[in-house]
This record gives sequence, C-alpha cells and structure tokens, in this order.
Amino acid sequence: MTEPTSEILLFQVGARVFAAVVHDAVRIGAVRDVSEDDLVLESALGAPFGRERGIVVASHEGATERTLVVDQVVGVRSVPEADVQPLPAFAAACLVSGAVTGLVMLDEAPLLLVDLPTLVRERSLAAPELTA
Amino acid sequence: MADPKPTDATGADAWYFCLRLLGARYAFEAPLVTEVVRLGPLTRLPAAPAFLPGVFTHRGEVLPVLDIGLLVGHGAVPIRASTRAAIVHCGPWKVAVVTEGVEGLVSIPRRAIEPPPAESSGVAEFLSGVGRDRAGTVAVLDLPRLVETARARAVPAGGPAA
Repeated sequence: MTEPTSEILLFQVGARVFAAVVHDAVRIGAVRDVSEDDLVLESALGAPFGRERGIVVASHEGATERTLVVDQVVGVRSVPEADVQPLPAFAAACLVSGAVTGLVMLDEAPLLLVDLPTLVRERSLAAPELTA
Repeated sequence: MADPKPTDATGADAWYFCLRLLGARYAFEAPLVTEVVRLGPLTRLPAAPAFLPGVFTHRGEVLPVLDIGLLVGHGAVPIRASTRAAIVHCGPWKVAVVTEGVEGLVSIPRRAIEPPPAESSGVAEFLSGVGRDRAGTVAVLDLPRLVETARARAVPAGGPAA
C-alpha cells in the first residue's frame, strides 16, 4: 500500500531553506517585471539576499496575487504525510506571525513549513504601518 | 517516569521535581513533569520571543523549548549536547523546560515551605514558596503561571497576526 504523501516546495530566503505546500504557489519566476507594489521583499522569514526570483502567491480568496521574493527555489519534493508535523500549540501561540504552521522532516532534517498566503497577507497588513 | 506519590493536603510531604537553573535549585509540582530528555538539535523559529529558542523533535513529536532564564531577564541557559530538558504539561501547553541540570524528585514537608520573598521582579515573580530539604534551599516555581505569562508576553494583545 502506498503511503500518503504531500508535495512540498522548497525555497530559500536569506541563509535558510523553508518549505511550503506546492499548491500555495501559483507560479515561480523572475521578479524584474513585477510591480514594486506587488512584491513582498521582507517577511516574517526575513529578507532575501537578492531580488531575482519570486514565488507568486494568491490570497486565500484568490482575489489578489503577490510575489514573495526569494533567493532560490530549491525544488519540489514528495514527502510522506507522517513527516509533516504541526507547530506545537505553545510555539504557535508565542509567534507574532501565523505563517509558520509546522515542520517537515526532510532527509531527517526539520524544515519550517510556511503558509504562503498567510505570509504575504501579514506583510500586506503590516505595510501601511511601515510606511506611515 | 514513575508517578510520584500524590501531593498531600494535610501538611505531610509533597513531591516536587527539582532542577538547577540560574545557578540555583528550583522545583515545581512533580505531576507536571512527564519526562526528562536530552535536548536534540533546535530548529529556530522566525520572529520568536527570546525565551523560545526553538523547537526540537522527540520520538516524532515536535516540542517547543522554554528558556526560563531569558523569560525572567537573566542570561540564556547554555545549550550543549549534554543539556537536558524537562517535558511538562501546563494546562493546554506542552513545553520542554531547558535546565542546567536535573536532580529529579524531591520530597519536601509542606510545613517546611515558606512564602516567597515579597520581591516581584525576575524569577521571584513566579515563586510560590521556598522550601528546604537535605540538599539545601529550593525555590518552588508556579510553573503553570510562568508558562501562561510567557505566552501572554509573547503576543500581548490580539493574538498572532491574522
């Protein structure tokens, strides 16, 4: 019997590699043609070293798209669902960001699982305060 | 870990779990502790408060690590390969309290536990009493209050970002 699996997108922001559910990414591409207003340069994950690549993310409602700037898209991996763990309740309650939702064990190394729509939405909500 | 004797409300001995922290002996109600483990490699969380240095996996479960030293404004408890943590249940929260060393269960007569000092800063804020056993003085922590305060201080108003 085949074990249920999840398709995980691996991407790098700064020095760290993160994981996200593949279907949260609409597409991946260069950011040079993307409007500045649609870019998410800095997020709860930190800031990328450069601004070459981006992951286009749709809002939960699918109404808007924003591009999370990343340093590298490492690839897509299929992992057993048993290797995807939710963030412990206490940790989740202590984080200001709700975008980190769990951990993915990949080659016995834990990677943070990120909810991309939540990540870019939080940035959108924070943006007016930053520019005020 | 074997269940300790239940605490006794009549004034007889009560069981506490004793550990070394901030260079002193601290204890909390023994039934809160489920296990003592060697701390595995930590995965740091972005935008986490300092007292939450990360999470680690233990028998397939992801556990958050609580550094009481940083919560109360002291330095961080050093984390080495030999560092041990006490896994505790406080209400809805399950956390691994990082320690400088673990003594284990100690029995202290309830009548020997005195009220905590009036000081309300640092770790004194979370003391429920001060007792003595054969090894000396031990400060008794109100661990559920400490853990709940940590959570509240991490996200003071409105909860995590929507």
